[in-house]
Amino acid sequence: MDDLVVGMAGSGGDGIVSAGESLIAAAAYEGYSAMMTKSFGSQVRGGESSCRVRLATQRVYNPGGLLDVAVALNWEDFLKFGAELPVSGSTVVIYDSKTGVAPADIPLQGVAPREVFAVPIGEMAKQATGTDKAKNTVVLGLIAGWFGIARLSILRGLEKKFARKGAALVQANEKAFILGEQFAKEHPLATPRAMNAPKGTPGKKMLVDGNDMCAAASIFAGCQFFGGYPITPSTEIMQFFTREVWKYGGSALQAEDEIAGIGAAVGASFAGKKAMTATSGPGLSLKSEMMGLASIAELPLVIVDVQRGGPSTGLPTKPEQSDLFTAAFSAHGDVLRPVLAPTSVSDTFDVTVEAFNIAERYQTPVIILSDQEVAQRKETVDPIDTARFTIEERRRPTEAELQDYARFRITEDGVSPISHPGMKGGNYQGAGIEHNEHANPTASGKLHAAMNDKRFRKLAPLKARRDLFHVEGSPNAKLALVGWGSFGGLCREVFARATADGLDVKLMVPWLVYPIAEEIYRDFFASVRAGFVVELSHQGQLYRLLRMFTDVPAGVTSLTRSGANPFQPDEVLAHLRRAAVSLQQPAVSIASEE
Amino acid sequence: MNTSTAASLPTFQAKDFKSDLKPIWCPGCGDFGVLQAIYRALAGIGRAPHDIAFVSGIGCSSRIPGYTTAYGFNSVHGRALPIAQGIKLANPDLLVLVAGGDGDGFSIGGGHVPHAIRRNADITYIVMDNQIYGLTKGQLSPTSPRGLKTVTSEYGSVESPVNPLLYVLAYGANFVAQGTPADMQGLSRVIEEAIRYPGFSFVNVQSPCVTFGAEDVQVKEHRAHMKSLESLGHNPSDRLAAMGLAQHYGTELHTGIFYRNPEPPPTMDGLLRERQQTMAGKGLPRERILDAFVQK
Repeated sequence: MDDLVVGMAGSGGDGIVSAGESLIAAAAYEGYSAMMTKSFGSQVRGGESSCRVRLATQRVYNPGGLLDVAVALNWEDFLKFGAELPVSGSTVVIYDSKTGVAPADIPLQGVAPREVFAVPIGEMAKQATGTDKAKNTVVLGLIAGWFGIARLSILRGLEKKFARKGAALVQANEKAFILGEQFAKEHPLATPRAMNAPKGTPGKKMLVDGNDMCAAASIFAGCQFFGGYPITPSTEIMQFFTREVWKYGGSALQAEDEIAGIGAAVGASFAGKKAMTATSGPGLSLKSEMMGLASIAELPLVIVDVQRGGPSTGLPTKPEQSDLFTAAFSAHGDVLRPVLAPTSVSDTFDVTVEAFNIAERYQTPVIILSDQEVAQRKETVDPIDTARFTIEERRRPTEAELQDYARFRITEDGVSPISHPGMKGGNYQGAGIEHNEHANPTASGKLHAAMNDKRFRKLAPLKARRDLFHVEGSPNAKLALVGWGSFGGLCREVFARATADGLDVKLMVPWLVYPIAEEIYRDFFASVRAGFVVELSHQGQLYRLLRMFTDVPAGVTSLTRSGANPFQPDEVLAHLRRAAVSLQQPAVSIASEE
Repeated sequence: MNTSTAASLPTFQAKDFKSDLKPIWCPGCGDFGVLQAIYRALAGIGRAPHDIAFVSGIGCSSRIPGYTTAYGFNSVHGRALPIAQGIKLANPDLLVLVAGGDGDGFSIGGGHVPHAIRRNADITYIVMDNQIYGLTKGQLSPTSPRGLKTVTSEYGSVESPVNPLLYVLAYGANFVAQGTPADMQGLSRVIEEAIRYPGFSFVNVQSPCVTFGAEDVQVKEHRAHMKSLESLGHNPSDRLAAMGLAQHYGTELHTGIFYRNPEPPPTMDGLLRERQQTMAGKGLPRERILDAFVQK
């Protein structure tokens, strides 16, 4: 086997997520390509928790669809995750026999998994360690035993994990692991499924989630200031930044509210430093006035919005792609603000560096529109060649320009030299009020029009940036698939499978989701007769934006559903197949029927 | 003082801080006096205009940074303090001033004041308190006295005013003063002292609105009734006495320094600078930030 998807669920205290962490850490060390998502109820402690780990010998782009292995420490919690942990007829189901459920009666309606194991997981844990706390370690033993994964690396990881708590606990957990492994050996799978070994040398891959990657990339891009406020699911960005930035000479502020967080970042940018803030939906709503200020004051600023279910408090711990409209349009007045969406942990690095480059080059706020899945999933990432990145800095005035300095000089490309406090001769007044070239307030309609024109003109080159779009497939394909954010990964996977199946399809995964690059989409859609824009929101917001700004072929429709209801690759593939079939049928001419 | 060193430093006069912009204020507005006092105070401090960042929110008084030659930032309503703290943390070498009205500071932006105080970044906050919303033409403000009739309180205000002095003292501000343009010398002196104070400093200026303000709060009345805290024998290192005197806000006009902590606590910008110096060491190359992610 080259690909394995494991889904596990239990109560908050069962340590099921911790088992996932151990499994993916071991797999990453061995060189597997791996991905892990976690899902919780919104309780701080207790409640249900689950994780999904996908391991593969090749790079994978999404957390996978139907489970190959399902682990239920109790069924009540497992079932709360519904479509997040989908079981099929070929899933190997493992559950704690303590639940008292007979293998023939597992509560999965309409599914009859071929192999079901009721395992005394709790009892084995107690036998090994004296308490049932090591249930998660028993589970690791079961998985290693049945699927031949990362045995030594898991044991090594357990030793590291428990070393601080004493040798006795290390030994007890090893025992729990071995008990699980032995159970698997004694009850072999009817169809053996052992994972193939990964390629490459161990100990090279990074294992990181999207939030940490975003924070790290921002420091790499030269960000020297973070202002923010805790909010799920973006808080880890602030945590990482406030821990690390001092080593690189920067500073950070956990502010009293969302507005103050972005306000401090606006101030730091005014003071000449690269700055960022991070938030999620409700925070983005609060920050919108400040985003408008940064736009009119032409201050570089990066704003991260890790999308969760909305509106209002919505679903704070679950992914949704429903903030695209507000990212594109919030803040009153005529505003053009670039929005970039990472599609994986790996490209979160690229997108973040790009966001800072765009912010600095065009002196504009830029939104990184991440989502809970990309932000909080852990993923293996191959070493990044940081030398391939260019780090841009804002255009400072030259000595000559400081002689008669005009902060908002109307230039051909719309970008004016920007000074900052401390720079002699560059003194100006930044303002939210409309201003002339010398930054003095004005109420002139003529100047307002000229400045609006300048502020829009400077961003026009973005729409020609083909490198901000991942396009694949034959240029003449009539069938198309478009996906962004975490669904970009889903679409890449579906595209690969569809192509392998012989479907002639093309794929578009944009990093730049706003402004809509009309020409790039026009080229992409030129050959297209049918297809889908696949999204995780009720409205299908990218599809709506495309319809607003460019011509979308009538056969391209919105394939979308509300957050926390993920699509499985199989489902999207089935839609594509049906669309392909309908394309082959000759169009019925109404005229000929008359 | 070593005079030869002093002579080599550039010196500034009040006029060096005056910009070419003509204020939009009504003739006779108290804010003209505040502006003059700030010019004088800055001349006394001696920092170059380009080393000063002067941040404001929205309101008549918030236009003030533009009338100076410093770097200014006339931002959005009520948010000058967070922006100013970002500036100071990003570059602690700058002299950071914040100014605005009573509505900007104690209504829409009131939630930021306690946090600026407890963080104690070295910035100076000047509130031009006129007990009215002037720019929007005469509505009730957070410091309007109970009973005041305005266009939004036709039958008299039924709300108690915020007491800005007690507010900041209660949250632990280490430097709190009050002035009035009726006493220019005293006003420029407290502003200069506030700027010199290491840490967050607050100056409430009773700055009359000539167009919408009540008769009894005009400069003429100030001149007749103001009492300097010095003349009352107040000891500015006595915080409780300061709070006692601050209770007279709205009935008496006390000028001068209410409270100046004789032992200034560390500033946020100072502490963070120390942390940067300790942790940055020789300076890590930025790509090293990825090291921690490698699964070894």
